[in-house]
Amino acid sequence: MSDRPARAIKLNVINEPKDSYTGGPSSLCPGCGHDQISNVIVTAAWENGIKPHRIAKMSGIGCSSKTPAYYLGQSHGFNTVHGRMPSVTTGAYAINKDLLYLGVSGDGDTASIGIGQLIHSIRRNMDMVYIVENNGVYGLTKGQYSATADIGSKKKKGKVNETQPIDLCALAINLGCTFVARSFSGSKKQLTSLLKAAMSHKGFALIDVISPCVTFNNNDESMRSYQYVKENEITLHMADYIPHFEPMVEVEVPEGHFTDITLHDGSTIRLETISANHDPSDSMAALTALHQAEVDKKHVTGLLYFDATKPSLAEDLGLVDTPLIDVSDEDLRPSKDMLDTMNKEFLNQ
Amino acid sequence: MDTIANDFTINIATANGTGSQSANLILLQSLFDMGVPVSGKNLFPSNISGLPTWYIVRLSDEGYQAPGDRTHIQVLVNKATWAEDLAALEPGSVVVWNMDSKMPMDREDVVSYPVPMTKLARSLSPKLAKLVTNIVYVGVLAELLGITDEALHKAVAGQFKGKASAIELNTTALELGRNHAKENFTKSDPYVVESRATEQQRFFMEGNEATALGCIFGGVQLLAWYPITPSSSLAEGIIGWLPRLRTNDEGESTCAVIQAEDELAAAGMVLGAGWAGGRGMTATSGPGISLMQEFIGLAYFAEIPSVFWDVNRVGPSTGLPTRTQQSDLSMLYEGSHGDTQHIVIIPGTVEECFEFGWRAFDISERYQTPVFGLSDLDLGMNRWACEGLTYPDTPMDRGKTIREQDVFDAMENFGRYRDVDGDGIPYRTLPGSGMAPILYRGTGHNPDGVYSEKPDDYFALMKRLRDKIDGARDNLPAPLMREEVEGDVGVIYYGSMENTIQEIDDILEATGLKVSQCRVRSLPLHSDVEAFIRRHRMTIVLEINRDGQLWGILRRELPNDIVGMVHSVAYSDGMPPRARIYADKILETIEEVSQ
Repeated sequence: MSDRPARAIKLNVINEPKDSYTGGPSSLCPGCGHDQISNVIVTAAWENGIKPHRIAKMSGIGCSSKTPAYYLGQSHGFNTVHGRMPSVTTGAYAINKDLLYLGVSGDGDTASIGIGQLIHSIRRNMDMVYIVENNGVYGLTKGQYSATADIGSKKKKGKVNETQPIDLCALAINLGCTFVARSFSGSKKQLTSLLKAAMSHKGFALIDVISPCVTFNNNDESMRSYQYVKENEITLHMADYIPHFEPMVEVEVPEGHFTDITLHDGSTIRLETISANHDPSDSMAALTALHQAEVDKKHVTGLLYFDATKPSLAEDLGLVDTPLIDVSDEDLRPSKDMLDTMNKEFLNQ
Repeated sequence: MDTIANDFTINIATANGTGSQSANLILLQSLFDMGVPVSGKNLFPSNISGLPTWYIVRLSDEGYQAPGDRTHIQVLVNKATWAEDLAALEPGSVVVWNMDSKMPMDREDVVSYPVPMTKLARSLSPKLAKLVTNIVYVGVLAELLGITDEALHKAVAGQFKGKASAIELNTTALELGRNHAKENFTKSDPYVVESRATEQQRFFMEGNEATALGCIFGGVQLLAWYPITPSSSLAEGIIGWLPRLRTNDEGESTCAVIQAEDELAAAGMVLGAGWAGGRGMTATSGPGISLMQEFIGLAYFAEIPSVFWDVNRVGPSTGLPTRTQQSDLSMLYEGSHGDTQHIVIIPGTVEECFEFGWRAFDISERYQTPVFGLSDLDLGMNRWACEGLTYPDTPMDRGKTIREQDVFDAMENFGRYRDVDGDGIPYRTLPGSGMAPILYRGTGHNPDGVYSEKPDDYFALMKRLRDKIDGARDNLPAPLMREEVEGDVGVIYYGSMENTIQEIDDILEATGLKVSQCRVRSLPLHSDVEAFIRRHRMTIVLEINRDGQLWGILRRELPNDIVGMVHSVAYSDGMPPRARIYADKILETIEEVSQ
C-alpha cells in the first residue's frame, strides 16, 4: 500500500464524484469525435450537479447512438430504432416529465430517416436536449454520405459530394426551435458550456456538434475533418456557463463585451463577444450567419438562437402537476359509481 | 293483407355529407326505443361529401343483426345510384322515393310511395332543404310503419341534445313527412312495426366508444395516435370522455394525448410510455399497424408494455377504407421481423370492447409485451345494443414492476431479463428510480440486459420469450362455446362475426344441421380450442377475409393428428357478413369434405 495520503476526491454540488457519471468503455474507433462528446456529457452532468438517475439517455441507431453505453452508467437509457428516438422520448416524457431527457443522435439518424420526428419534436417544443454528433457520413455501414455532407466535400472513398446538405441549425431555427447551437467536438470548453446551458433550458435544445469520423471522413479533402474544422471554425462568442447554485458575484467578469442569458433553472450562459456581436434572440441574424458560413465554406459555432418565451410540451399536454408515473392506480381508474351513473345516462339518453 | 311485423330490412340510399346520418340514427333509435330488435349498418364512402352512401336498418324479432339477404323497403334519395338500387329490388318491395329528383320510377312490380321530399323540405327551410329532406323520409316511414311520435320525439331530443332550434326544425319536418303520408297514401304493403316489451334494458353504443371507455377505465396515461378510418372515433372517444372522467377541478388531466406526425411516431410514443412505466396506447387500422412493425419488434424484444388497437378495415393497401374485414389477424399475431409472437385479444360485442379496453393494459404489463386489440369497422363504427358496461372485476395489474427500494433490495439475483420465477417473465425497474439502471436496446442482450452476441445468450433469450407468451395462452380471454351434439360439426369464429352467427346457425338448423360454436377471443390460442376441435368430427373456421387467417394459424399450431379435421370458410366482399352467404359456404364445405 502506498504511504501517500489518499487525495480527497472532488465532489460536485450534490456530493457526487465524477465517477458517478461515467459509463462503460467505448467501442468506437480510437480518436472518434463522439468519444470527446461523451466526455463532455459526463463533465456537464457532473458539474451541473444533476442526480445521475434523474437523467434518461435516449438514442436511435448508428455510431453516435451507441454512445449512451459509454456515459452516465447510473442512468436508465433506451437505444431505440433508427431515427425514432424523439417519439420514444416524447412518450416517456408524457409519463415522467421530471426527468432530464438527453438524446444523442447522428446525422444519418437525424437528418435522413429521423428528420420527420426531429421536426415534430421541435414543433412541440418537447423538453429535451438533442445532441447531433454530425460527421457527414454513415459509419456503421462503412462510410456512405449522409444528408449533412457539405457540397464540395470529399470523404475518404468515393466522389465529391454535390448534393445540397441539410443544415440542421437553419432548419431548427426556421421551425421555431427555442435553443439552437452548433459546436465542434474539438472545442471542449465551448461545447461543455453549451451543453450545460441546454440542460438548464426548458423546451427543445438542439446542439449540432461537428464530430469528425476518423475512419471515413477525416481526409484532407473533407470539410468535416479535424484539420478543416479547426482552420475554418468561426466562433461567434466565448461561452461560459454559470450554474444557478453559484453566486454571480464570484464569477470573473470578462473585460470585453458580453451578454448574459438567464436559463429556465436560474443558471446563466454568458456569451463573450469575439468579433461581431451576435444577438441570439435574432433569428434573422442567426440564419444570415449560417448562410454566410456556408458560402464561405466555414463552420460557425456558438449559441445561434435562443427563445425562453415559448411554452413547452408540458404546458400543452395540460397534465396534473404530479408526473403521471406517480399518480396512483386509484386515481387512474374512475369509480364504480361513475360507471353506474354513466350506464343510467346511456339508458335515458 | 297479412302484415309482417318486425321482420324486414330498410335500405336508405343518400349522398354522403347531406346530413342523412342523423336522420337515419333517429329512425334507428326510435325503433330501438319501441323495443324492436333492430340494427343499423352505415355503408359509407371514403369521401367527405357527394358520394353514395347507404344505411341499412334491419328489424328482426329473432334478434338478427346482419344486414339480411334482401331489401324490403328502399328509400331512394340519391340520383347517382337510383337505377342500380331500383333494379336490385325483388318484386313486391316497397319504394319510398323523392319525386323532386326527377328520376324515373319505372318499376311496376313494386309498391310505390312517391314523396315530394325536396318541396316539403323547402317549405320548411329553403336554406336547410338538403338536410331536412332526410328527416322528411323518416316521417313518411314512421307513418307507413307505425312508429310512434313518442319514440320519434325522444330520439330527436337525444340526437340534438339541448339544441332547441334543431329539435323544433326536425320535429316539424317529421310531421310534414307523416302528414304527407297520411293524406296521400293508402297503405298497400305488409310491413309494420310493433312495440315489444323488453326484459333487459339496453342502449345503443358504438364499439369504438365502448373501447375508448374501457381504455379510460383501464387507466390509460398516454394516447398517441394518428387519424385513420375506422379507428379515429376510438381515439376521439377517449379525448371526448377525458374531461369528465380523468380531469381534476383545475382542468388538469391524468392522461396525455398526442396526435402524432405519423403511425411510426405514435408507436414510438407508446413504447416510450411503457418504458417509463406508464400505460400507453394507440388506435389505428391495418395501414398504421404496417408502419409500426419495427417498433412492435422492439417492444417484443426489449419487453416493453404497449397497447395497440387495430380497428380492421379492408386491405391490402388503402383497400376499401370504409368497409369491414377480419384481415389483420396474422399480421398482428406475428408482427415485425424476426421470430415474434404477440398477444391478440378480439372482442365480439360492445360489452367486450369495454372489457378488453381495460384488460389490454393489465395483460401488457403482466407479460411485458405488446398487446393488440383487434376490432373492426363493423363492430367499431356501427351502433349495437348494449346491456350495460361492467366495472372491472380486478384491480389494475401492474405486473412485475419494482417500484420500491426495499422490495428491490430484498430481491436476489435481479437482472432485467432474468427469469427469476421460471415463468419467462422478468422483473423490471423504472427510469428515474435509481434502481438497477440499464440501457434498453433492440440488440441482443444477456439476462442482465448487457449487450451480447453470444449464441447461448441469444438462444436462451428467444426461448424464454416464446415460453413467456406461451404461458399466457390460458390466462387470456377464453373461447366461448355453444355446444350442440358432440362429435358432429363445430364452427370456430371470432370478433364481429358474433353478430351474425345466430342467424347462420338458424339457417343451418333449418336444413337439419346442428353445429356447435366456439368463439375465439384471444391469441395465442387457448387450450380449450384444441379440445373443442377434438370433440367434433369436423370443424369449420369462419372468417371475414379471403385466405382464412385463423385457419392458417390453427393448421400450423395444431397437433398433426387433427390438422385435417379443420376446414376454412373465408369470404369477404367488403360488406358486413350476410348470414346466407356464409351458411351456404358452410354447407358446401361440409359436402365437399364428406365426399
